[in-house]
Amino acid sequence: MDDNMIELRNVTKRYGPIVANANVNLSVRRGELMTLLGPSGCGKTTALRCITGQVTPDEGRVFIDGVDVTDVPTHKRELGMVFQNFALFPHMTVYENVEFPLMIRRVPQGQRREMVMDALRLIRMESYAQHYPRQLSGGQQQRVGLARALVYHPKVLLLDEPLSNLDAKLREEMRFEIRDLISRLGITALYVTHDQAEALALSDRVAVMNAGRIEQVGTPDEIYESPRSRFVADFIGLSNFIRGKVLAIERGMAIVAVNHIKLMVPAAEGTQVGQDILVFIRPNDVRLFPVDFAKAENTFEGVVHKLTYLGDTIDYRVIVAEGVQIRVQTDGKVRFNAGEAVKVCLPEARCRVILE
Amino acid sequence: MTALAKRYWHALINQKKLFIYTFLWSFFLWITSPFLIILLKSVGRNWFGKRWLPPELTLDWYKWALTIANIPQVLSNTLIIAAIAVTISTLLALPTGWALGRRKVPAKEVLTSIILLPRMIPPIAYALGIAQIFYRLHLVDTHLGVALAHVAICAPYAILVLSSTFEGLDERVLEAAAVCGASQLRTFFHVTLPLVLPGILSSIIFTFTTSYNEFTLTLMTYGPHTITLPVRTYLAVGEGYWEVTSALSIILIIPSLFVLFMVQRQVQPEKLVGGFKGV
Ligand SMILES: Nc1ncnc2c1ncn2[C@@H]1O[C@H](COP(=O)(O)OP(=O)(O)O)[C@@H](O)[C@H]1O
Ligand SMILES: [Mg+2]
Repeated sequence: MDDNMIELRNVTKRYGPIVANANVNLSVRRGELMTLLGPSGCGKTTALRCITGQVTPDEGRVFIDGVDVTDVPTHKRELGMVFQNFALFPHMTVYENVEFPLMIRRVPQGQRREMVMDALRLIRMESYAQHYPRQLSGGQQQRVGLARALVYHPKVLLLDEPLSNLDAKLREEMRFEIRDLISRLGITALYVTHDQAEALALSDRVAVMNAGRIEQVGTPDEIYESPRSRFVADFIGLSNFIRGKVLAIERGMAIVAVNHIKLMVPAAEGTQVGQDILVFIRPNDVRLFPVDFAKAENTFEGVVHKLTYLGDTIDYRVIVAEGVQIRVQTDGKVRFNAGEAVKVCLPEARCRVILE
Repeated sequence: MTALAKRYWHALINQKKLFIYTFLWSFFLWITSPFLIILLKSVGRNWFGKRWLPPELTLDWYKWALTIANIPQVLSNTLIIAAIAVTISTLLALPTGWALGRRKVPAKEVLTSIILLPRMIPPIAYALGIAQIFYRLHLVDTHLGVALAHVAICAPYAILVLSSTFEGLDERVLEAAAVCGASQLRTFFHVTLPLVLPGILSSIIFTFTTSYNEFTLTLMTYGPHTITLPVRTYLAVGEGYWEVTSALSIILIIPSLFVLFMVQRQVQPEKLVGGFKGV
């Protein structure tokens, strides 16, 4: 409990018929960088605004550093926030923008100057102190936004899609810059994004959100390797879903029947014999072998239906049993042609059971 | 002058540029020539016939204007009326503009058209209606009465300018201020006000010049105590003294030029239009 810097407890927020947040539970640990990941409109900003106090939840409580702040107004919550559209004060210089939170807190002049310059140094913008926001590029404006959020050493840094208004290359660069800055300062951060690559690259933990609900919370690795729902699997990367029925469970392995073939898959918690489930595997975890390859675990004959050359990888669609198409991505070393018979291997350790 | 000649020489080489320069200068002359003529008329003596320039220069007509046309009184009427009209228009337009610009108002377009109506229908027709009402209310020939008539056309301007100013105010910037720790009051003084001030200033300047120059509405509501500069100039035309009328026109123009000059120096035009729109 005490370990949580931010906590949303059973937070629900409705806008008329729309349920923007449905019973959201979310805890961000002290010093952790958590991302809130989900498609546009799933309620990420609403959750963030519950933390800032711009939205009052219909139900549930909000805690910051162990204190219930649900009824505390925004300006007393001592937060730092970076906005998608930068939201700098257009009538103030870079210096004045960064100085603003200190001016509001009546920090003495001498100290104030030092803190502003420290923050500007942090983002390598000292020489732009006297520029106005409109004279800066998007990336520079967002760095100023970051400095303004960090200058008074808030307990918590919130970032709402801070990079989505920047072009792809800059986005990639700034991703690491932000990651670096946050871990250097050791500040607790909640980072909202709809970009799964960004979430995986940045976070200590990821919370995946869908239609107002948190679907799964875990490390990037857990989320990518062991998605607990079809939505999470799909949202985080490319996926194969193979529908089947659990025939038996032996020593933690489920035997799943898909048409006339049988798959061995590590059973998920709650898997029951006779249940209809999905077997999930990432396309780059599937192996392709020549048709004369000796039989191994979960290996079946198939025919290459279609292939797409993607440069460093080749994307195959292989038809195994009737109606079961498996997507495979391999490096370009071993090549097969369309129409060619192949062996498809779904390594047991890479398969997951997803209960629907 | 040599710089100008040089520029023309270069322009001659570039046909397109020549066209643009010629066009700009013609436009400039077309706008300024009436002004130049009344300026010459107001300082010339014995200027008749087809001569291009007056034979003698004099300031007599200005003296006449000051004494006979009672300019100090007339000017003070004009300024008092303009001040009242600006104050009332701005006070009306601040809340109206805020509502139109920032709130969800049902039938906003219809409402805006109605507010703009006084500017659409012919002023003389509108002025007649106002005159009828004001006679009954004993508002004719009072500063307040004339100013109220002006408000009918000043306020729509002010509402239009202010509603677009407030509409351009970025909600997210205000939210940023709150997250930075600013209470509503401090957000207002440090962020909202500085962002909308250029808009309010330009609204005041618009309404001031509108009232200052207004003729038709004044004509229908003025009396001996509330003669304004435009009306006095018009009356002088009727009296037949062209030179005095010209002098009056020049006096009428000076404050407008002054305001224009001030606006150019104090408020950068780009701040008036797009500056408060944020990033
Ligand atoms: N102020 C509001 N009024 C009405 N509906 C809103 C408001 N804010 C958000 N919503 C709705 O709530 C849902 C979640 O929005 P939001 O939290 O902004 O999603 P995200 O940030 O994940 O894109 C959306 O369907 C959106 O239309
Ligand atoms: Mg959002």
